[in-house]
Amino acid sequence: MTRSVRIENVSFGYGGTPVLDDVSLDVGAGEFFAFLGPSGSGKTTLLRLIAGFGEPASGRILIGDTDVTDLPPWKRNVGMVFQSYALWPHMTVAKNVAFGLERRKLPRADIARKVESALALVGLAGYADRRPAQLSGGQQQRVALARTLAIEPDVLLLDEPLSNLDAKLRVEMRAELRRLQRKLGLTAIYVTHDQEEANAIADRIAVLDGGKIQQVGTPVALYDHPANRFVATFLGTANLVEGRIAGDRFESDGWSLPGIAGGDGATCIAIRPQDIIPGTEGAVRATVTEKEFLGGHTRYRMQAGRHSLIVDVPHRGDAGGLPLGSDVALSIDPKRVTPLR
Amino acid sequence: MSAPALASTSRSARSSVGRKLAAYNASPTQALALLVIALLLIAFLVVPIVRVIVVAFTGPAGGFSLVHFGDFFRTGLLRESFWNSVYVGVMTVVVASLIAVPLATLLSRFQFRGAALIHTLGVLPLVMPPFVGAIAMQLIYGRNGTINLILGDHFGFRIPFMEGLNGVIFVEALHYFPFILLNLSASLANIDTSMEESAQNLGASGFTLFSRIVFPLALPGYVAGAALVFVKVFDDLATPLLLNVNAMLAPQAYLKITSVGIADPMGYVISVIMICAALGAMAISTLALRHIDFATTQRGGGGLGRRSLGRFGNTVAAVFVVLILLLVLSPHIGIFLLSIGTVWSFAELPDGYTLAHYATVFSEAQGLIGNTVLYCGLAGLIDVIIGAVLAYLVLRTRLPGRKLVEQVALAAVAVPGLVLGIGLLRTYYDVHLPFTDVPFATFWLMLVIAYAVRRLPYALTAATAALRQLHLSLEEAAENLGAGKLSTLSRIVVPLVTGGLFAGFVTSFATAAVELSATLLLVASERDAPISYGIYVYMQSAAGRGPGAALGVIAVVTVAIATYCAYRLSERERDRRSRGGLAV
Amino acid sequence: MSSFIRPLILAAALTGFAATAHAQALEDKLTIVTSFSKDLTVPFAQAFEKKHPGTKVEVQNRNTAAAVAFIRETKSNPPDIMWASAPDAFEVLKKDKLLQAYKPQAPGIAEKVGSYPVNDPENFYTGFAASGYGIMYNTRYLRANSLPAPKEWDDLKKPVYAGHVGISAPSRSGTTHLTVETMLQGEGWEKGWATLLEIGGNFAQVSDRSFGVPDAVNSGQYGIGIVIDFFGLSAKASGFPVEFVYPTVTTLVPANVGIIANAKNPNAAKAFVEFLLSDEGQQLLLDPKIQRLPVKATAYAKAPAGYPNPFKDASLGARVKFDADVSEARYALLNSLFDRIITFRLKELNAAWKAIHEAEAKAKSTEAKRLIEEARRLATAVPIGDKEATEPAIAASFKELKKGEKAAGRQAEFEEKWDSFAIAHYTDAKAMAEKALAAK
Repeated sequence: MTRSVRIENVSFGYGGTPVLDDVSLDVGAGEFFAFLGPSGSGKTTLLRLIAGFGEPASGRILIGDTDVTDLPPWKRNVGMVFQSYALWPHMTVAKNVAFGLERRKLPRADIARKVESALALVGLAGYADRRPAQLSGGQQQRVALARTLAIEPDVLLLDEPLSNLDAKLRVEMRAELRRLQRKLGLTAIYVTHDQEEANAIADRIAVLDGGKIQQVGTPVALYDHPANRFVATFLGTANLVEGRIAGDRFESDGWSLPGIAGGDGATCIAIRPQDIIPGTEGAVRATVTEKEFLGGHTRYRMQAGRHSLIVDVPHRGDAGGLPLGSDVALSIDPKRVTPLR
Repeated sequence: MSAPALASTSRSARSSVGRKLAAYNASPTQALALLVIALLLIAFLVVPIVRVIVVAFTGPAGGFSLVHFGDFFRTGLLRESFWNSVYVGVMTVVVASLIAVPLATLLSRFQFRGAALIHTLGVLPLVMPPFVGAIAMQLIYGRNGTINLILGDHFGFRIPFMEGLNGVIFVEALHYFPFILLNLSASLANIDTSMEESAQNLGASGFTLFSRIVFPLALPGYVAGAALVFVKVFDDLATPLLLNVNAMLAPQAYLKITSVGIADPMGYVISVIMICAALGAMAISTLALRHIDFATTQRGGGGLGRRSLGRFGNTVAAVFVVLILLLVLSPHIGIFLLSIGTVWSFAELPDGYTLAHYATVFSEAQGLIGNTVLYCGLAGLIDVIIGAVLAYLVLRTRLPGRKLVEQVALAAVAVPGLVLGIGLLRTYYDVHLPFTDVPFATFWLMLVIAYAVRRLPYALTAATAALRQLHLSLEEAAENLGAGKLSTLSRIVVPLVTGGLFAGFVTSFATAAVELSATLLLVASERDAPISYGIYVYMQSAAGRGPGAALGVIAVVTVAIATYCAYRLSERERDRRSRGGLAV
Repeated sequence: MSSFIRPLILAAALTGFAATAHAQALEDKLTIVTSFSKDLTVPFAQAFEKKHPGTKVEVQNRNTAAAVAFIRETKSNPPDIMWASAPDAFEVLKKDKLLQAYKPQAPGIAEKVGSYPVNDPENFYTGFAASGYGIMYNTRYLRANSLPAPKEWDDLKKPVYAGHVGISAPSRSGTTHLTVETMLQGEGWEKGWATLLEIGGNFAQVSDRSFGVPDAVNSGQYGIGIVIDFFGLSAKASGFPVEFVYPTVTTLVPANVGIIANAKNPNAAKAFVEFLLSDEGQQLLLDPKIQRLPVKATAYAKAPAGYPNPFKDASLGARVKFDADVSEARYALLNSLFDRIITFRLKELNAAWKAIHEAEAKAKSTEAKRLIEEARRLATAVPIGDKEATEPAIAASFKELKKGEKAAGRQAEFEEKWDSFAIAHYTDAKAMAEKALAAK
């Protein structure tokens, strides 16, 4: 049965070093959720706390309506796929998959049937009698997944499950993961440091840094409306322009942008590179200092007063684009500007 | 011949050798290392032994014959002895496991404050000085020992701890369980945490988790330890003799070989059969693990997370540990009491206490201690180096003959000390040290060699178990970064298997410290003698019992200190590694 | 060939001695291989060094087996002196030509102590002390188990001593071997074995080393041991609650010294032998930690009161006429036989005698008595006769064959036969005794 996950004011530390600081979060039932952050942000620790590896110093964790904070890992019915897969080398594939089912004291026939269907689900029917060492990395990953899915967990936890695969396989696998999760209607939490992966797979993302949740939202919302500088730069590329907002107007060295809503008192704005449009007219003047042709678009680096900006211009046909050293006027849609405090 | 021509021939010769070696997945250095080890084994094990046991294959009329082996199997007593030895060997493994497995688990999987204590005390049973240990065991567990006297006085019954085959099993299990403890805890320490966590995540805990996941993953270490226990028990003669159980193979061989003036070849026939049985046991243990890739350490160590036990768990663990330690250390307590006692005869405790025995020992036998540390330390070191290199060559190359060399090295475990001693004397007495007339055989280095040869199997099995768990990719990564085979071995492999090598060193060192049979034959002067010799000399008379026990205590303390130091060293190594590789 | 050489060596040694012994200076070193304990070797080595200040004594303590093996393997550069109790070890060394003959000059040494000749007739080794066999017991043990103190060998047959007696195996202890041999010669082969087997029914242990028996009695593991006197006497002197008695019929066995062939320090070696036999050396034997019987009658003058003196006390070892040729002929066979029917089948032997003793305690009917008689006959039977035991062809099966010698079989074949014999007899004896008990 699929369940929601609720994390309430959880703090955790190793020795004296705080790793998680007052984290609260809700993951809805059936949702595909991602923890995204750089290494050391506490994302894996948070995942492990949900699985029961480690006890929070304070706060509580609920799965569905049950407080699991004090439950040991083996009583939580939370499935976890490990980064290293952690397949047991002394057991066959079938034994690995059957392990969790045996713990649940299912009749033997049921176990056999469930093992078979779990392996079929991940496309490994016919591999039951192999040993993990005889499988490729992708196959091992599928076995790890099958082993976890077989127990029909309330929540599926995935700890950077694709990081050991090559790029092509990674893209295939993440689509498959997503398909499986939808098909089974599972609540899934996925830890990654790769924003593209998180965007591609997750319904919602929690961005972590320094043991704190920076922002929670859909990939689009996070991209369009980052809550702070960290989120703005960690998800995609953003130009951060320091300055001052008074009323609805942003003022900085050579800048004066009107029409920015809700930013009173903010000290900075974030603008995505494709939201700056170079032309003959605009609020800001700039000089082209560098350019890179990237296929779908050309990325320019421009100097506007004391601000260095990245500007992406879609490539449409055979035009040469802006020459280096040319002066341009930049027009910016105030609705696409995010004020940050 | 011109110089360039010469150069080109040698280059082409080298490259063809190189190609061949590449096919064996080996570098020239490795081939050379195998050759050197093989030569050492031939010189100090094969040749000396063959020169002694050749009589087993010589018929009554001279010439090669297997008639004596026929006699062996036709003789009822020897058949009975054979089966008794097998029975005692197997049962000892079972009983020793009951002691060692919980201790090893506690050590490597839980935060337990007494860990260093268990590590150190856990080795001490191996350090049971001959004769003193025997007397102490009888004084405590014998039919009129402390425990039975107390039981008899207060409850009117006695427990025959030290009688019959079951008595042998009891004493042997207490004596040899450290082999399993050391090897198993090294193996447990090498298991990746996620192996355990994934099982917990799937609903396993407690005993299921241990028996289904953790223990099977540590199997290489356990099997290595268990095989050693079996072989040692199979070959041990001190315990059966102490308990007066003669119907086992080792005492039968010993009684035959050491009976003055008896020319019966049966003693050597039994020796050959024991060597074969030991090899068989080792081979079976290798066979049992053959298809299993146990390389579980992918991230280069760290090992299982050590969980806290909680107050209740800590209490239970402490009680269990104290009980076991009391049991296994009772002979040592006995030796200690003997060393400070005046007269101890048919009594629960000695009649009075004195320090005179220590005074005697310190005034007469100071040099012995230094000699023991030097000889046994060197022997342990040699074993660890050869063991690690050989284990590596066997597991990681396909050099021809490597298995044979391994088998030969392992066979040393079953060679009676006396047979090796005689063989070494016979082979090296006429070889003199350069510029002197000191025979090589009675130079102190020969004692080191004899110790090292007989204990090489401990270090070798420990190193093999550790290497089996080490993932090949860690080495390949080093090679990929430009490290040669040798520097990969010394910079990557050796540091990662420190735990296993530590186990090997301690076992070699500790058991060498109390070895007597070869010592007695090879010591040529009191100045060069180790402690075990001193103990023997004192224990030949009633008045020497106290000083002999005092020396025994000193031997035990020496080994304990050395073990503790080695343990600290290897722990530091482990800490250093796991900090580096810790992923949060 | 050896019969030609031996007199030659002997002659050379004898003529050589007169010229060299006193004229030549001693070498600066003397290496002694010994199985004696520190208690004995240290005082002698110190006294010798004091007397001959230029010579340093190096004592190598090894058990008898290791000592013999060492001397055998070091022919090219041997130690100088072999110094031990076990006469068998010296016999082996002599046969292997590893000893050199030397006739000591010291005056006043007896030819025989008790009935056993002190010296090797060909002078390859020399007795320097004697020891008597007897019974050692732990007084605390006897009190705790309410046992009377044994005085005679026959006492040890009594059912009360079941499981309380220990001995070392003749194959492991040359001195025990001589004791057993003396009993067999004294009582006759069949009767001697019957006695041994009946005492054997009470054995708690047959130890594999001589010192194992006094060790066990000292610690009270069992109460009574058949041991050589100095083990008992020196344990008592060290404060252990033990006593030692000589039975009326006892044997005396010598402790020996021999010079090793091609010794590097022959003069020092000879001087050491002479020192052992000198008044000073003989006197040292009386030390309470050493407790051996001097072979020089005059040495007893200074002995403490009650010190056993075989030159005065006729019962000490004099009763039996000891035939050294018979002993030598069956030496190895006797060792093997004892091990097969007693040492290795002790459990079965104990069980048989336990059943017999139980039956005897309750039996009244003639039928029961007949059955017990039969059981006793079975439990005291020996698988090989007196004549056979000394037959050269059979004895040859227990030795390394020389050229031209023929053996009746292999040792293993005989041993298997004796083993089956022992098991069958003891099992039957037990069954018979149980039947007697049922018949009462």
